[in-house]
Amino acid sequence: MPTEPEPETPAVSLLHPAARALPVDEDGAPAAAHRRSGRSLAALFALGLAVLGASIAVSVRIGVSDLGYGEIGRALGVRLGLPVEPLPGLVDSLVWDLRLPRVLLAAVVGAMLAVCGTVLQAVTRNALADPYLLGVSSGASTGAVALVVLGVGAGQVGITGAAFAGGLASFGLLMLLLRRDGLDSARIVLTGVIVGQLFSAITSVILMSSADAETNRAITHWLLGSMAPARWNTVVICAVAAVVGLAVTWLYATPLDGLSFGADTAASIGVEVRTTRLVLLTVTALLASSAVAAVGAIGFVGLIVPHGVRFVVGPLHRVLVPFAALAGAVFLVWTDALARIVFSPQEIPVGAVTALLGVPLFLLVLRRRGEL
Amino acid sequence: MSRRAAAGLLAATAVILSACASPAGERTSGGASSGVSVTSCGQRLTFAKTPARAVTLDQSATETLLALGLAGRMAGTAFRKAEISPPYRADYGKVPVLSAKMLTAEGLRAANPDVAVASFTAMFTKDRVGTREELRGIGLPTYVSAVDCPKDGPAGATPFDLLFRDYRNYGHIFGVSDRANRLVAEQRKVLDEAARLRRNLKGSPSVAYVYSVFNGTPYVAGKGGIPSEISRLTGVRNVFDDVGEQWPQVTWEAVAQRRPDVIVLGDLTTAASPAGNTAAQKLATMRAHPTLSRLPAVRDNRTITVTAIEMDPGVRSVNVLRALVDGVRRFGHAD
Repeated sequence: MPTEPEPETPAVSLLHPAARALPVDEDGAPAAAHRRSGRSLAALFALGLAVLGASIAVSVRIGVSDLGYGEIGRALGVRLGLPVEPLPGLVDSLVWDLRLPRVLLAAVVGAMLAVCGTVLQAVTRNALADPYLLGVSSGASTGAVALVVLGVGAGQVGITGAAFAGGLASFGLLMLLLRRDGLDSARIVLTGVIVGQLFSAITSVILMSSADAETNRAITHWLLGSMAPARWNTVVICAVAAVVGLAVTWLYATPLDGLSFGADTAASIGVEVRTTRLVLLTVTALLASSAVAAVGAIGFVGLIVPHGVRFVVGPLHRVLVPFAALAGAVFLVWTDALARIVFSPQEIPVGAVTALLGVPLFLLVLRRRGEL
Repeated sequence: MSRRAAAGLLAATAVILSACASPAGERTSGGASSGVSVTSCGQRLTFAKTPARAVTLDQSATETLLALGLAGRMAGTAFRKAEISPPYRADYGKVPVLSAKMLTAEGLRAANPDVAVASFTAMFTKDRVGTREELRGIGLPTYVSAVDCPKDGPAGATPFDLLFRDYRNYGHIFGVSDRANRLVAEQRKVLDEAARLRRNLKGSPSVAYVYSVFNGTPYVAGKGGIPSEISRLTGVRNVFDDVGEQWPQVTWEAVAQRRPDVIVLGDLTTAASPAGNTAAQKLATMRAHPTLSRLPAVRDNRTITVTAIEMDPGVRSVNVLRALVDGVRRFGHAD
């Protein structure tokens, strides 16, 4: 939209050139950016980190059996070689093998999904984009089901690997279908939906043709997303993926700002649209595949968190991406804590909780923004 | 630390003792604290002393242990799918119920068990109580019913042979071999009596076993499970014996097409089961089905109701056998 550049103020100069063309309020700062200075953003980010730390520290105690900090301290102390008395074997395993990795994985996966959603919403210019838009969750479930039902290999590590491979396969097919055009947003969305539908259909066919009740249950449960399979190895894998994904996304913050105004605007400010989209789509596919392979398709985090965070810190990706990661981490840490205790001693899939909490939050954000 | 070392030493001694002094599954000596080792589904379990805090992960495992009089050696039960059978009710009340449905990985560890017993290998996944290898790593032996692990058993072993192997293994592990052998003998007798039905059959009657109905389609007994073996024993053919899975999901049309003379309906009544799965509801579903309602077995109500979990391997499995024999006689397919 060609408008005259506004007189530059410090707040505006923070903006990507493309963003300066946005409607601005009377102070000259873009309305959406809420006039936050760099310093107050840094303070807000530090506060966010503190909240995340506190959330992890508090929620690690919550579960089927509540733990005391003494027990958690002893489990940690033994690993650090401190002179503490070790916990009895099974309690130690509860703390160290299950609870700690689970809470940490919730934080990591929450961050991954939120960043994924943020990037895809910008790349596709679609407010409804979420990490599974490209069909990777369907591809991942096809991989997992194929392994379980057709019995190619065995074991839980096998399922994670197969799910990851399935996710990448669906992404590969998507890229193959999109190879002729310049990765146009609408085409990405439509082709992603088609690929997702194809893989869901394959999953259903495999399930219906040869799976028993037990496999059906396992896959259904897994598709809803559950943090129960969290172990240290998944935490490490996901943490590596998250760090790589966050770093790449952060480096592409400015092109992302451009892309959210459309390919033409982005190109006019020197963004290599096709390459940038390709890199960003690959990164999100890797993030989403790792998350889905580890804990299933947890819905709503990747859709709601970016909107909520954009509402607070504005649309600049340099700021939006790290805040989305923080907010996603805090959100999933707490929803998973709820999933552990609401129907204790049973657990409910965390995906059910994220949707239950996410829907009202989503409505609230849309209302506040006057979009509903 | 010293306690751990002592426990390790004890375990090591037990391994050595059992390895050199005894064949598999035998007690090394008469004492209650001597080492015992059994094989369960590919794992060798060694018990330095008789377990006193067993946790059962499903109802069939629970009732089997209760039938062996082991309530005092159990720290908890989980996943009750039906009413507890009357003879075990009093004992069942003495053991804490850890979870109405599936036990979680945390729930299992929090109960501080010294052995976990289950009827199905599927209980031991990361999203449930954790894998068997993982639990072995933290010193918790896991016993899985031999029926769910047929590859592990001797060639040609029937599901009942494998079930009886479970009883004997429990006998070794918990030091109640006499009681286990008695239970085997009792149930063996039921099997032999039921096998006599063969000679008195009129024609070649057939049966379909409907365990549950989920999303409008039934799960029936295929080949390889307890029901299929019951059919083999009695000569009442299982119409889905050509499906090489224990509980395949089929269509109502397929049930109608295979024209079973009698239908065994699994009764599922607790909250842990999917809705609409009592035997009466299943019959109503079949009666409302345009094709199936014309099937003589449905039209004339030649159905036999059993508690669904009795079709799983467990101490109550012989009840299905008794019910089928009674039903087949009642409906005039045998003398």
